Formats: sequence, structure tokens, C-alpha cells
Amino acid sequence: VRDLLRTRPFGFALLLSVVLLAANIIAAPSFGNPSNWPQELASFAPLAIVAMASTPSILSGGGGLDLSVGPLAIFCNVVLVHKFFPHGLGSGWAAVPLILLIGAAIGVFNGLLVSVLRYQPVIATLCTFFILIGLNLKFGASPRPAPPGNWTTDLGDKVWFFPGALITILVPAAIWLLLSRTAYHRQLYAVGGNQSTAFSAGVDVAATRIVAYALGGVFAAIAGIALTALVQSSQAASSAQYTLIALAGVALGGTVLGGGRGGLLGSALGAFAIYLMQTFLSAVNVPPTWNSVVYGGMLVAGVVVGARLVALRPLGRRALA
Amino acid sequence: MSAAVATMGRVQRRAPVLQFVALVALFIYGAGTISGFSDSTSIRSMLVLAALLGLAALGQTIVMIVGGLDLSIPGFIVAGAILVSQLCGTHHWAFVPALALIAAIAAAMGAATGWICQRFRIQPLIVTLGVGALASGGCLAWTGGKLTGSAPAFLSTLTSPTGTTFGIDVSPVVAIWALVAIVVGVVLHRTIPGRRLYATGANPRAAQLALVNTRRVWMVVFALSALCSALVGILLAGFSGADQTLGDPYLFQGLTAVIVGGTTIMGARGDYTHTVLGALILTELTTILVGHGYGTADQQIIFGVLILIVVAGYGRDRRLRDTI
Repeated sequence: VRDLLRTRPFGFALLLSVVLLAANIIAAPSFGNPSNWPQELASFAPLAIVAMASTPSILSGGGGLDLSVGPLAIFCNVVLVHKFFPHGLGSGWAAVPLILLIGAAIGVFNGLLVSVLRYQPVIATLCTFFILIGLNLKFGASPRPAPPGNWTTDLGDKVWFFPGALITILVPAAIWLLLSRTAYHRQLYAVGGNQSTAFSAGVDVAATRIVAYALGGVFAAIAGIALTALVQSSQAASSAQYTLIALAGVALGGTVLGGGRGGLLGSALGAFAIYLMQTFLSAVNVPPTWNSVVYGGMLVAGVVVGARLVALRPLGRRALA
Repeated sequence: MSAAVATMGRVQRRAPVLQFVALVALFIYGAGTISGFSDSTSIRSMLVLAALLGLAALGQTIVMIVGGLDLSIPGFIVAGAILVSQLCGTHHWAFVPALALIAAIAAAMGAATGWICQRFRIQPLIVTLGVGALASGGCLAWTGGKLTGSAPAFLSTLTSPTGTTFGIDVSPVVAIWALVAIVVGVVLHRTIPGRRLYATGANPRAAQLALVNTRRVWMVVFALSALCSALVGILLAGFSGADQTLGDPYLFQGLTAVIVGGTTIMGARGDYTHTVLGALILTELTTILVGHGYGTADQQIIFGVLILIVVAGYGRDRRLRDTI
């Protein structure tokens, strides 16, 4: 187990997910029933995809951290419900590319602020965070339900026999997998590992970073679609929550905040572990007032156990981490 | 021209000149466009708001100097507010033992956070997120979700904008803030613990080899951060009353104050004087936006854009090709 954990940084999140999945099924046998999977996956999808969306910017290093992905996902949700559905953009074939384009544009904006205008990533994305929250409140001041039977309902339930939420989760994963066949993937890890070395080796650091933030934006837009599919209404008020939980998922999934190590799969698994923690708490009827105590305790205990498992790393590697 | 720019750069590295210029410029703009902006009552209430924000951002500042990020601040603020209201209001404790208990709990949990992060080399982000949930959740669970008490009355006078400190015409919380800022400034730059803090932030391994006990530094830093947040929670309980979302604005606002001040997330740069200016700038900005009659949504948008403009003057990194 130790060797595996050492070579695969997401191993711990995987282990934790398996344990919690078993715990969930023992606590509530209906959890493992395949007919419940579409709903469970749908409620998990937004969190997972936001966690995936925060990953590329962190990997790109230089203190990279995209705080704006949570509000961006909500922004896409608000735009869908308040702008697209009432104004005739009811069909998914037109709406999806537009939403992804919005996400990419805001991601590029973040990327430009960070790598061309040389803002620190935290302050740049924090400003985007404030701006997006403001826009969300402006457009979605009063929560509004999505029209019944719109194209997102399938994604929240089933597309033929296939859980729709699995599609929204698999799209970012597929994009990432395709990218990992290209030179961009190596450039991203090179820039995140050591930007000076990457620069000296002729990597276009600025362009690599901009693409990383754009990817995050696109993934956040997909998260917005998944969220709309789940709740079928606009959620302007919940802008700030997703960012922090998603970051916890990223860190739990073994992605190093300094950049250059980790990956999308780890973040999704980390988010899965957090989601399973939450469902487990409600399955065993923890009183609601105790929820956040148990959640906090499990989070801390989880990372400590994970760190113990990999504690015997060789010293050289530890210095790198 | 370029010599002048270079000189300015040197001065800016030593002292937050541009932050100060931004502060003054904003004040002049506010005084010029909003009637009553420069009245003593409005300045007093701005100072109280800035003091609360600045004190809440103190912990984040020193945590960021050692290269961490503290997300437990709202948790400890809520914990401090709830505990002081319940202990003094419902259980009729005297204020001093309640204060001592809250300080002890916060410091112990903070030290535990620092120990865990340093011992197991876990990113502070995730540990503080968990500990923050533990702190606020623990207090909520203890009260069973029913907040019955209210904070001792004298706490409200501490944060009242019209209050006086020993006959001097400033609100007590502002006086406390000024004192804290001076003490922290001296400790950070003129004492051995302060040097150890920066050494740990610049390079933990090098600091360790130079016989700095980095584990102790981390424990003290996170204990102080938790302590500050809990104390701010106590003050806020008097200022606006305790509830479980009390701390939420202070996480991102505090982080913004620290970064607008010029402390960076990469560690070992900046100090508390910068954060003080950052908190003052943010409070002025918010007051100006409210004064011009913008709603919450517009405030957030303009706030975001203005921070970008303010920080553009001084908070940007060097070109990558200049760092090689």
C-alpha cells in the first residue's frame, strides 16, 4: 500500500473513498442500489467538477489558485436560468457552447491578469470572485425555477440508461485525458514544477498559464450546467460555498498547492471522499448541529492518517514536496 | 526618469508608500464627492470598522508570512462570539474567566493546527478548513443551535464609534488596534522571534538548519491567529451580536486586506503595517461605494474592479524573465 501511495498522490483519496463508500452502504444499504445512482451522482457532480476546475490553475504553479471557480459555476447557472431559458435559448445545442465560451472567456481573463498583468493569482481571482458574486446577485436577485422539461433535466437523471451526471463528470475528465496526450500537459507540469527552468527551456510560460485558467473556466461552466441539472433553479445566494469545499477536495486528492504535482483524477476522488463524508453523516442520523464538528474532525483525521501512511518517504522526495 | 523609478522602487520595498498614497487619494475623493465623508462621526465609524477588519486580518498576515493560508478565521470568530455570549449571557460567568477560557481553547486548537501542519507536512489550507469547522461547529453543538445569551454590555462600548479611551476622543477598539499594530510591528522587525518567523517563511529547511525550531514557530503562529480571531469574535459579539454566519465576511475581506496591503501568499514578504493600510483602504472603498448609493450587487462588482486598480500600482510580481 505504501509504495502505491508514494507513487500515486491520489491513492489516499481513493482509499478514503473506498472506506467511506463501504461505510455508506453499511449505514444505508439503499445507497448502493443502482437505481439510486443517477440521483447520487447528480448531487455529487457539481462539487466534483468544481474541484476539477480548481486543479489546472493550481498545477500551473507560481502560487496559482483560482478562487473564482465556485462563483463562476454559479454564474453559469444563473445565466442559464435567468437569461437563456426565458429568452428562447432552450435547446442544449445552442446553450452548451455559449456557456462553455463564457466560462473560457472568464478563465482567459483570470489568466491574463495573472500572467500578462502579473497580478498575484490569489488577488486576481479574488477580484473575479467579487465581481462574479456581484453579477450573480444582480442577475439572480430572486431565485427562479428552471422551466420543466428543459434539456438539463436529463443530465440530472438518466440519458437512456446512463446516469446523466456521469456525462458531466466524464467530459472534463475526457478533455484532461486528451490533453495528457499532448505536449501541453508536460508544459503545464514543467511550468508548475519550476517556472524559471521551464522559461529557460523555451516553454511559453504565460500562454501555458492562460490556457490552464481557461481550462478551469470551461470546467467551472460544466459544473454550472451540472448544478442547474441538479437543482433546476438559480442559486445566486450560494456563491461562496463551493470554492472552499472544492479546494479541500483538491488538497485531499494529493495536488500540491505549490504547483506541478497532482492531477484531475485526484481532485475528483478528493471531492468524492468529502461528498461521501457528508452523505455518511446524514445516513447515520448525526444531529444537524453536530454535522460540522464531525465533518471537520473527519477532514483533519483523514489528512493526518493519509500523511502517516506516506510518512516514510525518502528524505529527498520530501524536500521536493 | 528611470533613476527616479528605481529610487521609488527601493523606497516602496522598504515602506508601503504607494498604499499610503492610495489611502490618501481615496480619502480626498470620498471627501470631495460625498457630503459628510470627512465628518468626525463618519471617520470614527470607518475607523471602528477598519479596526475590526484589521484585527481579524492580523492572524492571516502572520500565517501568510510563514507561507500558509488560514481558513479557520471565520470558525474561530463564530466560536469566540458564541462562547462569550453563552458563558456570560446564559451561564452568568464573569467576563474575565470566560475570556481566559476562550483564549485557552482557541490557542490550544490553533497550536494543534500548526503542529499537525508542520509535523505531517500537510497543507494548512485543508487542516484549517477542518479545524475551523470543528471550532464553530463545536460551539453550535454545545448550544444545541439555540443562541440564548447576549454579550456583556461593556463590550458594546468597546466597539462604539462614539466611545472614548481614558478621556481621549477615540473608540477603545481603535486604540487597541493602534497599540497592537505598534507591538506587532516592533516584534516582527526588531526581535528574534520576528526574525525566526521570516526565516521560516523564506525557507523552512534553511531555517531549520540555522537552528530555528520551525515547529514551534508554526504552532505559535497558528495559535496567535486562532487567538486573534476568537478575540475579534468577542468584540463582534458586542458590536453586532453573535450568530453563526458572523465570521463569513471576514475570511475573504481579511484576505483582501492582507493582499491589498502588499503581503504575498508565497511567504516572507510584507508585515502588519501593510495590512493596517490594507484594512483602511478597504473600509474607505466600502464607505465610498455605500455613500454613492450602490446596492450590494454593484458594490461587490465595483469592489472587485477597484481592488485590481489599487493593487496595479504596487502589488504585481516581477517579470519572469527578470527573475532568472
